[in-house]
Amino acid sequence: MLINHRRVLQFPALLFLILIAFPVFAENAPSSYKPVTVPNPATDLWRAVNPQQLPPAEAAMFPGGDSQVQGVQSGVLINQLGQRWRHFRMGQLLPTGSYLLAGAMLAILLFYLIRGKVLIRDGESDKKIERYSIYERLIHWFMAIVFLFLGFSGLILLFGRSLLLPWMGPELFSALASAAKEGHNLFGPLFLLALVLVFLKFVIRNIYQKGDLTWLLKGGGIIGKQDVPSNFFNMGEKTLFWLLIIVGGLIAISGVVLLFPVFGQGRDIMELSHVVHGIAAVVMLSVIIGHIYIGTIGMQGATEGMTSGYCDLNWAKDHHSWWAQRCIDEGKVMPKQQGAAVHHDNPAPAEAEK
Amino acid sequence: MARMKFYCDAERCIECNGCVTACKNENDVPWGVNRRRVVTIKDGEAGERSLSVACMHCSDAPCAAVCPVNCFYTTDDGLVLHDKDICIGCGYCFYACPFGAPQFPEDGAFASRGKMDKCTFCAGGPEEDNSAEERRKYGSNRLAEGKLPLCAEMCATKALLAGDASVISDIYRKRVVNRGASVLDWGVSYENASLRSSKGVQGKATMEE
Ligand code: HEM
Ligand code: SF4
Ligand code: SF4
Repeated sequence: MLINHRRVLQFPALLFLILIAFPVFAENAPSSYKPVTVPNPATDLWRAVNPQQLPPAEAAMFPGGDSQVQGVQSGVLINQLGQRWRHFRMGQLLPTGSYLLAGAMLAILLFYLIRGKVLIRDGESDKKIERYSIYERLIHWFMAIVFLFLGFSGLILLFGRSLLLPWMGPELFSALASAAKEGHNLFGPLFLLALVLVFLKFVIRNIYQKGDLTWLLKGGGIIGKQDVPSNFFNMGEKTLFWLLIIVGGLIAISGVVLLFPVFGQGRDIMELSHVVHGIAAVVMLSVIIGHIYIGTIGMQGATEGMTSGYCDLNWAKDHHSWWAQRCIDEGKVMPKQQGAAVHHDNPAPAEAEK
Repeated sequence: MARMKFYCDAERCIECNGCVTACKNENDVPWGVNRRRVVTIKDGEAGERSLSVACMHCSDAPCAAVCPVNCFYTTDDGLVLHDKDICIGCGYCFYACPFGAPQFPEDGAFASRGKMDKCTFCAGGPEEDNSAEERRKYGSNRLAEGKLPLCAEMCATKALLAGDASVISDIYRKRVVNRGASVLDWGVSYENASLRSSKGVQGKATMEE
């Protein structure tokens, strides 16, 4: 309706300007145009055909038509929102989305070049702490795999026509896009499940608390070299969690609306859902690019917690010092055993034991 | 080169749904799919009008713009057709189309979308003209036989016109000019109503003939 309001406002404004500029016209205008007294009934017909072009108050007077063909909105002759949706997807989501994703990757690359890998300050220790249980690791990787699959299959639908189609050819690309669509539809609901499981398991540790603001202000101890204490999850991880829950939740809900056209939702609702789905997906993917970087090549010792379930004591002291201290106090620190922690820095497990 | 168009004369359509039935029959359209429908505005009130609508074969077709696999093509006759072998049934063309033309047969569980189906202007698809393959996927190809779409050919009141745009507009222009009285509503003729465009009427008034 935005465009229409603007148009409605523009006309009187223009008229006003003209009237001010040419007082002669203003006086002559009424005498040269005689208003027609016979109303043209066809105008009502065409208003009803395309009620979305009217201001909302008037549109309510023209509720569209009826059709013998049963179906959601089969009585709507012209759905103008479709054109807006087209411009959103082709003119906004596609270019902005590609800039955002490319920008995120570029930013990570720059960060890596400037800051380099975040190393454990005192190097790796010979002690470890249990960080994630089997179940916690399971739901994390479940979500990660489902998310990445949905991300890639969705991106094929969004960017495939411009990036893949030209060199794959229509038949091959159609097969790929079809698989992407079917896979996306099939795995979509699993993302919702993963989201619920992750939420229930991790929500308590992700409630913001005192010290989180300080962490933010000090750049998480990653920018600069200060020691910034935090609990099991630091401010950055908590923010990732809540982004995942909120933005991911929007993705999941809008996805389900798009997936099952059986709730009687019309095109307007589906177009809106697609807008939400598209924006949220691109935003979440950009955030996850950062998460994957810092969880793997960006930080020494970060991946272990989620793979083996144990993290290095010195890593914990660097990034979660309150939690590390609590583990030390509670006697939860244990020596690294053979096989449990084999590192590239240690040439042989036998030597590491010493 | 011809540019094919549909036009539905709101002064003539009597909502008999003959075009809808003709289309379904001619093209063996799957269950639940309606390539054409008649919409009645102000049903049962003064000024009731009906219009038959299908794919309008847009020049800058929104469906073709948003299709993620680019399966639409425009024929030399200006018809917007699509390739069902390429279509993945995502539904985007249905979101973008102003007229609700793309239809989806329910395919499998949870009403998931099958390959899109829509009006072809009785011109089939990319397969060889009138081949069995084309018939199975798209219905009939009357254009290849030199015939016009069956919906318009069947229309009892000749409200629905189909054919070369310039011919269609000539026919309609003549109708407008020759229809003396009660063209728009009881007691109002074009002659009176269109001397000056009244508020809300878009387009130009014509003084021809
Ligand atoms: C509950 C989970 C989800 C459901 C039910 C879902 C469903 C859908 C549906 C129905 C579509 C329309 C195309 C189609 O029919 O395949 C779609 C498109 C898309 N989805 Fe999802 N999705 C989900 C999760 C995700 C996630 C987690 C991401 C990204 C990480 C994502 C990214 C996308 C993208 C990029 C598109 C393409 C948009 C376009 O082409 O304009 N989706 N999704
Ligand atoms: S399907 Fe809709 S958007 Fe595409 S050409 Fe037909 S009327 Fe136009
Ligand atoms: S349903 Fe088919 S024709 Fe329509 S946009 Fe999707 S792939 Fe293209």
